[in-house]
Amino acid sequence: MRKPFKRLLALLSLLGAVALAHAADDAQLIKRGEYLAVAGDCAACHSEKGRAPFSGGHPISSPLGTIYSTNITPSKTHGIGQYTPEQFAAALRRGVRADGSNLYPAMPYTAYARLNDEDVAALYAYFMQGVQPVDQAPPATALPFPFNIRMSMKAWNWLFLDTKPFEPDPAQSAQWNRGAYLVQGLAHCSTCHTPRNVLMAEQLERRLQGASLGTWYAPDISPAALQAKPAWTRAMLADYLASGHAANGATAGGPMLEAIEKSFSRMTREDLDAMATYLLPASPAAAAPASATAPAAAVPALTPVQGDDTPQALAAMSVGARVYMNNCASCHNTGGQGLNGLPSLQQHPLLRQPNADNVAMAILEGVLPEHGQGMIGFAHTLNDGEIAAVTNYLMQDLGGSKVSISAERVKALRAGGEPSPLLWVARGGMVLLVLVLLGVALWWRRRSKSGTAG
Amino acid sequence: MSNPNSADVVVIGAGVTGALLATRLAKTGKSVLLLESGPRMGRDQLVERFRSSAFKSDFMAPYPYSPLAPHPRYTPEPNGYLQQKGPHAFNAQYIRMFGGTSWHWAAQLWRYVPNDFRQHSLYGVGKDWPISYDDLEDYYYQAEVIAGVGGSPESGSPRKHPFPMERVPASWLQQRVTARLAPEFTVLDDSTGRNSRNYDGRPACCGNNNCMPLCPIDAQYHGGLAAQQAEDSGVQVITEAVVYRLEHDEKGRIAAVHYYDWNKVSHRITAQTFVLAANAIETPKLLLMSVSDKFPQGIANARDNVGRNLCDHPAIGVTFDVDEEIWPGRGPVSPCSIGQFRDGDFRAEHAPFRIDISNASQVASVTKEVLAEGYFGKRLEEQILFRAARRLSIKNALEQLPDRNNRVTLGDKKDELGLPVPALYWNVDDYVVKGTEKTRAAYDAIAARLGGTNIKHSKSGAFSNRQHITGTLSMGLDPATSVTDAWGRAHDHENLFMVGTGVMPTVGTCNVTLTAMALALRTADKIIEESRHA
Repeated sequence: MRKPFKRLLALLSLLGAVALAHAADDAQLIKRGEYLAVAGDCAACHSEKGRAPFSGGHPISSPLGTIYSTNITPSKTHGIGQYTPEQFAAALRRGVRADGSNLYPAMPYTAYARLNDEDVAALYAYFMQGVQPVDQAPPATALPFPFNIRMSMKAWNWLFLDTKPFEPDPAQSAQWNRGAYLVQGLAHCSTCHTPRNVLMAEQLERRLQGASLGTWYAPDISPAALQAKPAWTRAMLADYLASGHAANGATAGGPMLEAIEKSFSRMTREDLDAMATYLLPASPAAAAPASATAPAAAVPALTPVQGDDTPQALAAMSVGARVYMNNCASCHNTGGQGLNGLPSLQQHPLLRQPNADNVAMAILEGVLPEHGQGMIGFAHTLNDGEIAAVTNYLMQDLGGSKVSISAERVKALRAGGEPSPLLWVARGGMVLLVLVLLGVALWWRRRSKSGTAG
Repeated sequence: MSNPNSADVVVIGAGVTGALLATRLAKTGKSVLLLESGPRMGRDQLVERFRSSAFKSDFMAPYPYSPLAPHPRYTPEPNGYLQQKGPHAFNAQYIRMFGGTSWHWAAQLWRYVPNDFRQHSLYGVGKDWPISYDDLEDYYYQAEVIAGVGGSPESGSPRKHPFPMERVPASWLQQRVTARLAPEFTVLDDSTGRNSRNYDGRPACCGNNNCMPLCPIDAQYHGGLAAQQAEDSGVQVITEAVVYRLEHDEKGRIAAVHYYDWNKVSHRITAQTFVLAANAIETPKLLLMSVSDKFPQGIANARDNVGRNLCDHPAIGVTFDVDEEIWPGRGPVSPCSIGQFRDGDFRAEHAPFRIDISNASQVASVTKEVLAEGYFGKRLEEQILFRAARRLSIKNALEQLPDRNNRVTLGDKKDELGLPVPALYWNVDDYVVKGTEKTRAAYDAIAARLGGTNIKHSKSGAFSNRQHITGTLSMGLDPATSVTDAWGRAHDHENLFMVGTGVMPTVGTCNVTLTAMALALRTADKIIEESRHA
């Protein structure tokens, strides 16, 4: 009796070890999938404050109306619990749901199309096994006609979706290729930083050359822009992605700050270095430190206060300078030099952008990171003219830029950006089509009538 | 939008308590009109005025002043708005503007200790409150969430929920003083509405060390934010509206308020419910001014209690140079205090007190001192550097007992609108004097532990005001000895409520604003509840 029992025990423990090994593999795969989900910033859209992780419901305001993100937990009723690996891959890389209908490109599947099969498998393992299922439906998306017809995306995909996965360039280093894979794929940098054409597709010939998101401006991060003096270094780029700050004075705000907090800051330094290597192909040693080459900013002359000379002193100041002194100087210092670790504005990379939208946006909305020092927004306390004036003071008087912003543009930014012409283009196009068809029909009828008469 | 002549509720005074109450009422759909005697001014304008002011140590200097809605000023010369009638001057400071007096403060938001509410039962002195600490605990927390309060959990005020805000990191001064005074003195974090992280759209404190007179980045909560929130919640605000009379009907209910705009045009506004939130000196003044045949002593004053029992924390201070560099001036101005003398059986004998340790920059005051001592040139610079790095400034918040003789009355002078100025009678009794002796002994022990030299106590027998003005509209169960009931309702007028520090029967040993905020929220809930049943 004893011996067989022992044997059984040995067998069981052997089986257990095999199962354990499998479990360890699984656990590792899930863990890798979790990291990739962070790199892809899936949570940015699919997790909403106050709701369970990945249960969707995050409103994404697109130029065409609000799109609500979906539940991507493994719920069998409301999530993607029924998805096979193939269906999951199709959604991720082709923008096609399990029921065959198309996703809107608010889901950056045009970038995720670069993902390789191993990473898709890891993401599948994570979403199926590492995420808690949530049986809850997010609000439905209702776009205006004709964009409520998801079929229209089929034509769009046929025109604009490149389905080729990433292929490494053997001429480049492994690090460069890793960076390229991340930048083009999971990190989906081009989703914001590449300008879009009239049909909202990325203009490939202008890849990463900067684009307005309606309010915030995603700057030009093409190699030429990053190498322009004062140049970025790879270390600066990686630091910026890790923390939202870099030695050249850059500070992140708006959607980039959100991407840094939720995604980049949680990636490994190796991956951030790889992305910097790809984005900035020049030898980093060649780039001079920013401070050495930055144009000397004009420090405004300050009149010392003696007694009550307030009216005279204020009369001599421009509106922009006055708004700056009253709202900004307590932290950024009287000449924009920064103070005790609070950001210097004099050489801030924002002041070298081709437009002043981000400066105005930061002033309107503030910059409130999850951790670390924030900046209050001024939308409630400054009017459009004052925000334009202080933005222009920063751009021109402190930054030496020729770029300016108008009060009208600030008004538009405050309202959430200019409305997209796309809806009217599409609807107008359809009216045109109907008219043409009507014309053809009339002509055909006349022709057939006259034929009968003849 | 034209100004209305009626509303469901009229609130008089757009300070933090009136604004919180107005916001809560407006959110239930009531039409609420908030009248403010002073002007409206934004943070940026106040920063500009502070930068331009030659009187940086005068915390009132940046705030707008108008003879049409005057308030006390002391720099460069006292403006004499308050007529002093007692043995001690009650040098009150308050601000008549949109947002009120908590524009300039150090955002100290303390809970009383439970025994403060039962002072007479436990120690045979002063007064019991008509409510207990437990009645207020939930409202304390609501107010703390609104303002983003952090502090030490060992403050002696029990709590059901942790503080909604983590404390701002301790400055070097706080770290050194805390370490060196232990274990004889326990230095604790103050309870303050100051952000250590982004909260409610406002950033963390970045150490401007400018809490008073004004936080330039709104890292600290203040009444201006509360008043703005009221307006954003649908409350209609009229500034530069100086209420000068409450009108009653034949049954004694309040029927209307009358106010002057700054062109001295009079307006009349009717409402169902009236709430006075116009400061513990100005509110009794308004009640005393509102005389009629039926109420010859003024509104809510049939038993002559309005304006009486005026209390503050009569304070004494000490400064000395510590034997090491502690560098005051980095971080918040008022970060920590010693709370071990706030409660105990000794309260039967002498005043309890808290000892406040200042972290405000001492450069201006030591420079004045060194110049007066005749230093110049290189030695002057050395001395400024030496003393500014070592100077510790301490003061106390000492509980004064309510005394009917300490009171607000109407002065014989008039302001530019022809309204009487407040007159004040203020004295301090032996209870305070004995507490002062205990404080001095503690000051000497503290100075000894820190190797203090150049020790300077404030002048013996003189007291400064801490601006924690209470008692003048006391809540109580007995109409013979109080102005308002346990909900802040006037004993004599069913539809007249009062909020603010004036309704607090005793002054305790901590800054009073949080308790006033909690009481205001509680009064708001009472008004809402009664209107549901009506």
